[in-house]
Amino acid sequence: MSHWMFNCKEVSRRVSESMDHDLPVYQRMLIRMHLLMCRYCSRFRRQVMFLRDICRSHQLDESALDTSVNLPSDSRERIRQTLKSSSE
Amino acid sequence: MTPVTEEILVADPNLDPESWLDQYGDYLYRFALARIKDRAAAEDLVQETFLAALHGRKSFKGRSAVKTWLSAILKHKIVDYLRKNSREQLINDTDTITESVDDFFHKNGNWKIRPEKWNLDPSKIYEQREFMDTFYKCLSDLPERLSKAFVLREIEGYGTEEICNVLQVSSTNSWVMLHRARMFLRRCLELFWFHKTKEESK
Repeated sequence: MSHWMFNCKEVSRRVSESMDHDLPVYQRMLIRMHLLMCRYCSRFRRQVMFLRDICRSHQLDESALDTSVNLPSDSRERIRQTLKSSSE
Repeated sequence: MTPVTEEILVADPNLDPESWLDQYGDYLYRFALARIKDRAAAEDLVQETFLAALHGRKSFKGRSAVKTWLSAILKHKIVDYLRKNSREQLINDTDTITESVDDFFHKNGNWKIRPEKWNLDPSKIYEQREFMDTFYKCLSDLPERLSKAFVLREIEGYGTEEICNVLQVSSTNSWVMLHRARMFLRRCLELFWFHKTKEESK
């Protein structure tokens, strides 16, 4: 690859960075070009985005929960008391 | 009658935390129990979550629904708990997963440990308890500051500035930390989940 293009190490770092702040336009272009040609970096991108989805998909978590258990009433009462005394 | 939606609750940030307990107590408890199995510890984490919510009420600006906000606090507490109490670490062999990003690449910047193809079917992988167990284990196996950075960013949805304030690092540093965390987590899931499921489906 030509010297002006990013290598995989640089692309993966910038893909990650682009999830945390906006990158300059020319960098985004170079990344996009690299991703078109490189299946490993494309995978990397998909997979780190998947990590983000897992963390943010809290509705989906819910359907995996066991609805037959409830917060025990003594524990609920204890928490209520603690909240009361801490908010005073 | 309009159902009480979470949006209405958000409109009233001063809402009594005790009513949060009534509404979300069971949900948070179930969630904690699904992750850590120990009832007493799960109860404690729920209590800590409500206390943190009570103290953090002012900073909660209704950016998200109350339920999402409480869940984020709880997830944070679960990761802390797992880190302190998890006896069986996934990664006891420190050579299994490298902490350094450099080790993933050849000198010329090409992948040395190439990202493998993941079988993401069935698509609702989050609903599989075992998968989420592995995910939380990987998260708690990260070096502490990296996992903190990741949890703040991806679970709590903090921006760069907030993360820098909490962790006392520069912006550039925070991005480097998040990148390392993602590299590590991605690889950890690959080794401890996707390899396993690949073998089972053979």
